[in-house]
Amino acid sequence: MRILIAEDDADTAGFVERGLGELGHNVTVVDKGTDALHLALAEAFDLLIFDRMLPGLDGLSVVRRLRTADVAAPVLLLTALGKIEDRVEGLDAGADDYLVKPFAFSELAARVNALSRRPPPQTTVTRLFAVGIEMNLLSREVRRDGKIIPLQPREFQLLEELLRHAGEFVTRTMLLERVWDFHFDPQTKIVETHISRLRSKLNEGGLPDPIETVRGVGYRIPAE
Amino acid sequence: MRTIVRSAAYRMAFAVSLAFALATLLLGIAIYYAAHAAFAREMDAGIQQATSGLMPDYRDDGIDGLKEAMAQREGRGTDSLEYALFQPDGRRVAGSLDTPMPETGWRMISFLDPVEGPDPARALITRLPDSYRLVVAADLEPLEQIDRTILGLFGIAFAVLLLIGLFGALVFGGYLRRRLARIEDTANGIIAGDLSRRMTIGPRRDEFDRVASSLNIMLDRIASLIANLRQVTSDLAHDLRTPLARLRNQLETLQGQVQSGQQRESVDEAVERADEVLHLFDAILRISELDEGSLRRRFAPVDLCKLVRELGETHAPLAEDAGKTLDVQAEGECLVEGDRELIAQALINLIENALRHTPAGTKILIGARGEFGRVVAFVRDNGPGIPENERERVLERFVRLEEARSTPGHGLGLSLVRAIADAHEARISMSGADGFEIALHFPASVAA
Repeated sequence: MRILIAEDDADTAGFVERGLGELGHNVTVVDKGTDALHLALAEAFDLLIFDRMLPGLDGLSVVRRLRTADVAAPVLLLTALGKIEDRVEGLDAGADDYLVKPFAFSELAARVNALSRRPPPQTTVTRLFAVGIEMNLLSREVRRDGKIIPLQPREFQLLEELLRHAGEFVTRTMLLERVWDFHFDPQTKIVETHISRLRSKLNEGGLPDPIETVRGVGYRIPAE
Repeated sequence: MRTIVRSAAYRMAFAVSLAFALATLLLGIAIYYAAHAAFAREMDAGIQQATSGLMPDYRDDGIDGLKEAMAQREGRGTDSLEYALFQPDGRRVAGSLDTPMPETGWRMISFLDPVEGPDPARALITRLPDSYRLVVAADLEPLEQIDRTILGLFGIAFAVLLLIGLFGALVFGGYLRRRLARIEDTANGIIAGDLSRRMTIGPRRDEFDRVASSLNIMLDRIASLIANLRQVTSDLAHDLRTPLARLRNQLETLQGQVQSGQQRESVDEAVERADEVLHLFDAILRISELDEGSLRRRFAPVDLCKLVRELGETHAPLAEDAGKTLDVQAEGECLVEGDRELIAQALINLIENALRHTPAGTKILIGARGEFGRVVAFVRDNGPGIPENERERVLERFVRLEEARSTPGHGLGLSLVRAIADAHEARISMSGADGFEIALHFPASVAA
């Protein structure tokens, strides 16, 4: 995947470039907003990662101009400011996701993955499958090996999120954002507790655990 | 009445007017005595003069000459004096003064007035050589009348002064109180947390205005110091985040290289420690962002009842895992103007406190309800609660109660709750006879 990074802090830029390079991505790094704008207009990238504060032209303005110029590549904004207003502004400007520095590389990697595989918005999925689990989004029914598993609404949403991204890691932060609509870290074990409930319902009767946990990274259900 | 008694302004005004009235009274008494004495002296002089005037008649023509002169004077009525002449045996032989024979010298006597009856008089009794006694007396009535007039005048003046003084004291005291009350009012507003309040300064630039102006300058200075402190705190948190983030990134890179064993555990722990500090900085930054007040622009109607139901559903399993129960009491819809996530964060902090600082078996109840133009969200438990004298203090930054030191946390949880409540103009109340309840009282959304 071709990724453009615009980041003026050499340390962060290096850290991200190295990490994404190791994952096999083709990474270009610039440190000025104007360079980012020109490059993104001239060449086709699969993903743009911009720092919000850039010398020359700030990240937010670059995103706005790219969107006006019909550049549709997904944009991930990075910011050193954890302000609530910044996130809203960033998303309003046309960014697709938003990450507050400092972040764990695994968090960035998970989001890069999710952004690059974002399905076209017009396709509507009504059923999700993975490792013997079947989820019907219309009847809100979940079966494992044909047997109905009754789930609480949150557990259903958690499983849906994992199934939609089967094969990828979904981080704790992403689950908080998508299942609870919390863009802050409540510093409680709500994700862990609800995953554990979901797990024990799915595994009832001694079935193998379909949810893989990697400490400090997130959760994953393997794709078929 | 009690406020008047307890007000220094009224007391001062009353004291001044009372002193003024007393001074008038003293002056009245002094004038009374001075006038009385002067008039009495004049009266004595008149008597003396009349007595001396009769002496040549007696010397030249004896008793008969005296009788004639007395009759002449009484008949003329030129003075207001009364006369009497007594024989040595005490019988009155001349003059119209109807009185028994008095001793010689200056005397106060009583005589029988043909119109008014017994009347006091001032008299000079002179012993003549052949044991006759001559009495020249002046009725005291005019003197008493002057005394009465002076006393009456000053009595009225005293009463009028007292009345004017009372009225003046009420007006003056009320004025002082009003001026001071305005300053007090502003000070109370500031104590209640509105640091932007300032004293009003009148156009006269009197001493009250000067005090108010000095207080305003002082308040400006305090406000700028507080703002400075906040700025430094948030700048510090902000500036420390970058190097800390780098440290965390390096540790994470290291995490990828060390696969297992004790080293890996140490690295994992180091990453967690770094995250804890970063979270602390996040909380500081969030509080200073809330203090700025700019978030209000993004406020929208939030259904607090629904939010409480969601949080209840989300946290019930956590309570269960901790051996506690969590029930929800929030029906229907109750709208407040605010930021859903901030309110959620405040309520989660309160729920987390109830989960963290109570023994197993504790029953926790969270709820929300709309009432009288307000929406109240509360977290109640039957645990040990917060001691009454500590309740205000726990809302301060970095305060942790002795009992809570053993549990994890940085002491910013409740101050974040307070900052969020302040941003929403919500009041925090803590109560609890058996158990503990902390509640946030939001003004209801006008959209509701």
